[in-house]
Amino acid sequence: MSRRPPRGEYIETDTGNKVARKATLVGTQNIMLGGKTVIQPEVMIRGDLIRSIQSSSSSSSGGTPNNTAVAIGRYCFLSRASCLRPPGRLYKGAFTYMPLRMGDHVFVGPSSVIQAASIGNHVHIGANVVVGEFAIIKDYVRVLDETIVPPNMVIPSFSIVAGQPARVIGEVPEGGHEAFELRELYKTVGNNPQPALS
Amino acid sequence: MAPLNPYTYIQCPCSDSASLGRPSDATSPTSAEADDEDNTFDPRAPRANFSLYPLEYLLYCEDCHQIRCPRCIAEEIATYFCPSCLFEVPSSNLKSEGNRCTRSCFQCPICIGPLSVTSIETPPSDPNLLAPDRAATQHSTYSLICSYCNWSSTEIGIQFDKPNSIHAQLAKIRNGGASRLTAKERKERRKELSHRGGEAAVAAAAAAAAASETSGGQDMDLETQFANLKLFYNSQLADPNAGDNGFSSLGDLGFSSPSSLSRIMNLYTGGKLHDPRAKSKLGAMREAITADEGLLEPDLDESSLISQLHRSDFLDTASSTQVCSQPPNLGEPHLHGAARFNSSLRPAPYLLRTKRSKRCPVCRHIISKPEAKVQTTRFRIRLVAGSYIPSISIRRLNLPGSNGPGAPAILGDLLEPLKPVHFLLTFKNPIFESLKVTLGAPAKTPGRFPSKVTVLCPQFDIDANTDVWDEALKDNDRESSGRSRRRAGTESQFQVEVGKIWERGRNWVSIVVEVVPASLKLEQGQDLLKEDEDVLEIPMFVRIEWEVENGGDDATTGSGRDKDQKEKRELAYWCVLGLGRIKQG
Repeated sequence: MSRRPPRGEYIETDTGNKVARKATLVGTQNIMLGGKTVIQPEVMIRGDLIRSIQSSSSSSSGGTPNNTAVAIGRYCFLSRASCLRPPGRLYKGAFTYMPLRMGDHVFVGPSSVIQAASIGNHVHIGANVVVGEFAIIKDYVRVLDETIVPPNMVIPSFSIVAGQPARVIGEVPEGGHEAFELRELYKTVGNNPQPALS
Repeated sequence: MAPLNPYTYIQCPCSDSASLGRPSDATSPTSAEADDEDNTFDPRAPRANFSLYPLEYLLYCEDCHQIRCPRCIAEEIATYFCPSCLFEVPSSNLKSEGNRCTRSCFQCPICIGPLSVTSIETPPSDPNLLAPDRAATQHSTYSLICSYCNWSSTEIGIQFDKPNSIHAQLAKIRNGGASRLTAKERKERRKELSHRGGEAAVAAAAAAAAASETSGGQDMDLETQFANLKLFYNSQLADPNAGDNGFSSLGDLGFSSPSSLSRIMNLYTGGKLHDPRAKSKLGAMREAITADEGLLEPDLDESSLISQLHRSDFLDTASSTQVCSQPPNLGEPHLHGAARFNSSLRPAPYLLRTKRSKRCPVCRHIISKPEAKVQTTRFRIRLVAGSYIPSISIRRLNLPGSNGPGAPAILGDLLEPLKPVHFLLTFKNPIFESLKVTLGAPAKTPGRFPSKVTVLCPQFDIDANTDVWDEALKDNDRESSGRSRRRAGTESQFQVEVGKIWERGRNWVSIVVEVVPASLKLEQGQDLLKEDEDVLEIPMFVRIEWEVENGGDDATTGSGRDKDQKEKRELAYWCVLGLGRIKQG
């Protein structure tokens, strides 16, 4: 993770996002970044998969449709070659995508595919994980490497999840909450990264 | 082989340290610093597994000033909730409904994936899966479908009329679609029966019941049988005619009655109030003789099952994990001839999960208490050991001379036997007082392959932790203030010096440990390498001392108390540093 990329590999925005030039972001106007988020090379975010049918509650609130496809909180870390893809399903007889929401301090491991409906805060997703469509991952969840979270699964807070299909294999201990913080990791990437603390 | 990340496990003092050390040690290592050498904690002792924990798993009792591990805390359940729908289940429901979710949360019996209610007409469900006899005519039926393995409840012949309250519907359907009595209905039916048949004609009623059950096409299932048996034995126990000194004596409390006399005698002799009565009772009790009383004749003819096994393949039978994840007493009509086919599995309602608060077992103070609400992740009380005792992180140190220049040592690399390696241990002080740390490690690691261990700086101080804001303000000149406080000058001039700290920062200190890994060469007659015997683990005794403001707290573990309101505290524990695997051969 603390690999030092060559200068200029990342685009750093005013809100502190570090987006790799080699990341593939489709439909950028539909991707919301909360700030201080790292998007590594070869990451793909499918912002083009917007909701084609507006739900009755959101369309009534205003004239402009809410087209957010992917919403990401602060201090998220999308590792190399991971993919965020909004989930889609049949809704009242027609196929539509639904937004993918992601909280703060979410780590997505390399080559993982996320199609969750929502991911809470302080979530660690390992490498080569597949999170199925409309899965809901709550706060402080650790998804171990190679896990396949089946569609529609709900993972409650403080779970450690592994397996194919995923099952809850343990609980995050009380002392393990701080390990989910990604502030330090955020500093270690970018165009002029700081070395990781020992 | 998977690379081994260095780890630090801490031994909770709750385990009997004397028995964990070398045999015939009476003194505990925590108290006897003097004979440390021959009293080493052996991380490879079979029992050590149960007392070693990563720092995150440990809690800390502020009143006992002691580490508490998951084994030595008392847990109290704060909230029950379903892990799928995240609804809280009141504990009163728990008693009546059991420990599973009674809403529509089910797990696939084949793969434990979540099941979702799907209308059968929708294209995603394979039309081949539909039971041909039923689904064609009905308009809107629903089934439970696993989105992971595509299992559908139609495979076991279960369909639902409504998309909601699946749990209640499922309780009425047996595999294959036949209806099934719920506990309530069973009770009602029984009441009905007892009304119909008088006490005089029990046998007749039983016969009628049996007749009605068979006519209704209803075999007695496991739950009915159990309920029948329970009722029967209860009535036997309560039956005044069954024995002459049973509960009947409670009715007539005559002093002359021998039964009440024995009862009073029992009161005074104490304890065995029920035993003699029960014994005398047992002799008078009879066993169930009718189906109404719970008698079930075993059906020993299993030829149909055998032929079914012949027709099916291995994948049609349920694995033991699948059977174990089934809720009890829900599947089969009765135990006789219970086969383990996939068709007998049922959707399993989610087991409830809990939020628990934790107490110190000694002083009963709460050391961890989550908010009761399911959705919140905050804790009211959370005394984790990580905020009281220093964390130890391990890094392989690459000295220019020793390991050869150029190739940087990567953590998880195999260690060359008999070649000295240096590891950097970084102790980080979480408390706001400066710590005095004393380390002790055996010169040779315990076990069959002793590696030589030298802690180059066994005694040092760590400066106090400061506020987060101070750190943030200092962040800009971190390069100048934090990193330059090395003992030696620049990186290339680093020399491993005995008794010197390698590097120190705001609230951390790095020291060097030199290890000469043992050779794993097996001599003649030696057993083969056991699992993980190539892992280089060094036990280390950590003693930390610090001073606190004496806040009227009398409980003290410190050796001496200063006059000027300062109290000396001390904490000592064993920990195990896993450094890496030694190269074999």
